[in-house]
Amino acid sequence: MSCGEIERLFIAGASPEEARRHALECATCRSLGKDVDTAEAMVAGLVAPALPVSLRAALLEIPRNTVSCEGAERLLPAAMENEISDDEQRRLANHLSRCAACSEAAATLEAMRDLTQPIPPPWLAARLAANRPVREKSFWRLLLAPKAAIALAYAAAVVVMLAGFNPADLARRVSASQLGENTRAAVTVAESSLTDRIGAIQEKIVRSIQVWKGRAGGYGRAALSNAVSLIWKSSGPKERPAERPRNRDGGGAFRERDTTITTWRA
Amino acid sequence: MSAEEKALVDRCRAGDDDSWRELVDCFGQKVYSVAYHFTLNREDAEELSQEIFLKTFENLHRYDGSFPLVAWLLSLARNLCIDRYRRRKREKSFRFVSDEAVLPMLKSDDDPAADALKKERTKLLFWALAEIPEDLAEILVLRDLDGLAYGEIGKALDLPDGTVKSRLFRARAEVARRIRERHERRGSAGAFQTLALAAGGVL
Repeated sequence: MSCGEIERLFIAGASPEEARRHALECATCRSLGKDVDTAEAMVAGLVAPALPVSLRAALLEIPRNTVSCEGAERLLPAAMENEISDDEQRRLANHLSRCAACSEAAATLEAMRDLTQPIPPPWLAARLAANRPVREKSFWRLLLAPKAAIALAYAAAVVVMLAGFNPADLARRVSASQLGENTRAAVTVAESSLTDRIGAIQEKIVRSIQVWKGRAGGYGRAALSNAVSLIWKSSGPKERPAERPRNRDGGGAFRERDTTITTWRA
Repeated sequence: MSAEEKALVDRCRAGDDDSWRELVDCFGQKVYSVAYHFTLNREDAEELSQEIFLKTFENLHRYDGSFPLVAWLLSLARNLCIDRYRRRKREKSFRFVSDEAVLPMLKSDDDPAADALKKERTKLLFWALAEIPEDLAEILVLRDLDGLAYGEIGKALDLPDGTVKSRLFRARAEVARRIRERHERRGSAGAFQTLALAAGGVL
């Protein structure tokens, strides 16, 4: 196990003489230092492999075959409008095939074109309708509303009919004779209707009188009968009416004798 | 220095081809070297280098000149390099280092025996690098193989200089220990001394 001094000397950049002096005193550091020097010496004689001419030529061509990230940033907007040359297009495509970040940016920009209109959710129409501000209706808007228009049409038709301007009858009413005949027919109808009405009222009055007469007679007879009964009862002895049977044997359950016996036994 | 590099980057952003060529000539070799050391394969290193420079070109607007451009380049390259390194590490043949893989890193001498020894030593080195933790291995590659300064490595990996030095020390010690243990397991303890003597690394 090394004391670590040889490593500390190496890191501190000590001279080889210092390392050698310590190695003379410390056997482990001597062995370690020998290993390190040997490895360093094994590497020291090697030379760097020469850069191939073909590789140098390929490296010089790089700017003609691709673009940098900032170059791609400049070309992308123009490329979307097809406003770049074929050579620029080739270099941009080469760069995008290698650079994930620029490729992602280009794909995102391109994907914007393919976006379709979003489908509204089913609840949206109802919510919009519920949130629509209430508008004050003008007189004409009220007048021209469907229901109001229908009501007005009916009212106008009634007024026209009441005024005698029924379009269907208008042609027939043009002649005076027809008009008089119609008037007479109307008067006849009105008379018969009035007669019928009066007759009905008379009949109803007569029927009511008869009903009241019947009721009055009935009450009178009942009062007379009660008076006779009272007079008749007050003149004779009172008789207790027979008690109605109350149990199943039909002979009456509570006889006077049974009650007495029961009382005696107790 | 960073102000000049910032001006160079700004000219590149403006589309100046000469400035881009200057940037490639300044840093192309360094980037390719790092890529090769992480991949140990020429095709993979070229592909990785192109990827690093593409990323550099696309992100030039992010460089603010607050630290050396090479460190900024390496900070962009680091994740790509580590990804490749891990991918290679998952392969069964990861610890096998071929002659072709190490040849581009060797200077040819007239002595075939010395060349063979250097080749074996380099293969052993990359085998050991595959054995140690990757946070130690990457420091050793950037410092000892690619010759970056502590400050540049610290900026690239977002580490303090002390941590970089500490990791470098431990990386070297670990590499040497793995090599020694391998030779001891194989009963050829003398081989390590031979390699060490060949490397000239004896205290």
